[in-house]
Amino acid sequence: MELSRETLDRFVDGELPPKEMERVAEMLAAHPDMNAYVQRQEHLRGELRARFGELDCQVPLRLIEAVRTAPVSWQWRFRTWRERNLTVRRLVPAGAALLLGLVAGVAVRPQADLGANAAGQLVAQGALGRTLDTALASAGAGQIGISFRDKAGRDCRTFSKGESAGLACHQAGTWVVETLARRTVEDDGAAYRMAGSEMPDAVRQAVTASIEGAPYDARAEAQARDRGWSGR
Amino acid sequence: MICNDRQACFTASLLISAQLEEKPPAAVMQSEMDPLDPIRGQMIALLPRLRRFAIALTGSVADGDDLVQDTVERALRNLHQWDAGTRLDSWMFRIARNRFIDGRRSARREGAVMMDAPEEAGNAAMDGERAMLSRMTLEDLNAAMKKLPVEQREAVALVLIDGASYREAADLLEVPIGTLTSRIARARESLAAAIGE
Repeated sequence: MELSRETLDRFVDGELPPKEMERVAEMLAAHPDMNAYVQRQEHLRGELRARFGELDCQVPLRLIEAVRTAPVSWQWRFRTWRERNLTVRRLVPAGAALLLGLVAGVAVRPQADLGANAAGQLVAQGALGRTLDTALASAGAGQIGISFRDKAGRDCRTFSKGESAGLACHQAGTWVVETLARRTVEDDGAAYRMAGSEMPDAVRQAVTASIEGAPYDARAEAQARDRGWSGR
Repeated sequence: MICNDRQACFTASLLISAQLEEKPPAAVMQSEMDPLDPIRGQMIALLPRLRRFAIALTGSVADGDDLVQDTVERALRNLHQWDAGTRLDSWMFRIARNRFIDGRRSARREGAVMMDAPEEAGNAAMDGERAMLSRMTLEDLNAAMKKLPVEQREAVALVLIDGASYREAADLLEVPIGTLTSRIARARESLAAAIGE
């Protein structure tokens, strides 16, 4: 036998490269012993495939039912559920929408009337800050009550806004809110101008405690504004 | 039922089972489809191959079917261990093989007599002439297979019966390709001797 049994086995199993397959096939014609071996092996392989292949006709229903109904790993169920619902495809639009909302919210939202400075003091800012900076009670600006100098030499003003009223004093370029109180219902009827009698008690008491001298008259108020509320 | 075309045959058995199913195979929206359905579908399509493998391993149709049922149940119960990027068939063949080997081990521990090589009169006496000229029966082949060590049996089941390549079979059995080819060579000798060739 010129070819090894291993080569002939590979030939029978179709495991030789195409060129080799052809070469062996040609050699078999001239070598009856090798040819007989190959025929026996092909017969064996053919019989195995044929007899076991016939079994395919008889797959029992219980096996098909087992595939259809056998319980499935809950870990697999959970993982699949998670993958389906938390896919990138679903998360990206949601994430983008959230980010857009945040950006738009920060950009568009007007600054609140009250905030805090680095020292943790409550400060008037936004529209209220601008009103305190520029409006003159003497010119009829609704939200401003009285303006005065306090014992520390700061320019201070009382204000009202919506349901709140308070006292703010100008300090280091900002209006520090010294007192903030809730306005009562009766105060609403008094519109915006807040003379001493219309102030909530807490604000009036704060003014009384801190004022030095008398409130500014119209001229002093305008002068203080023009000085940038720099106080004494 | 005698059938020459494997696929047509198995399809016929699927049609019968589809008629038995209560749930109508209504067209379900893709998004509402149970993600398990394609996997169950693949498993059903795999049943004939798995069954041939299991019968070749156990040497009997009844034991083979029990092994397949056990394999299917175990595969679904441990589906999370299957890496969806890998071949389902290899994974299930491996489960079947491990279940079979584990079963033999525990049977041996319990002191059961291994009835691996029943010497049935007639099979061994079959002469070469008859083997060459006549069809062998499944029982003849199973009797011959049962005389092989398990390592050779599984190699024959994959390469000669299932038609797997050496590479596929070696990967599935997790042995070097040289080990696989020598197992097949030894199995060929034994089978030829057992069936009288």
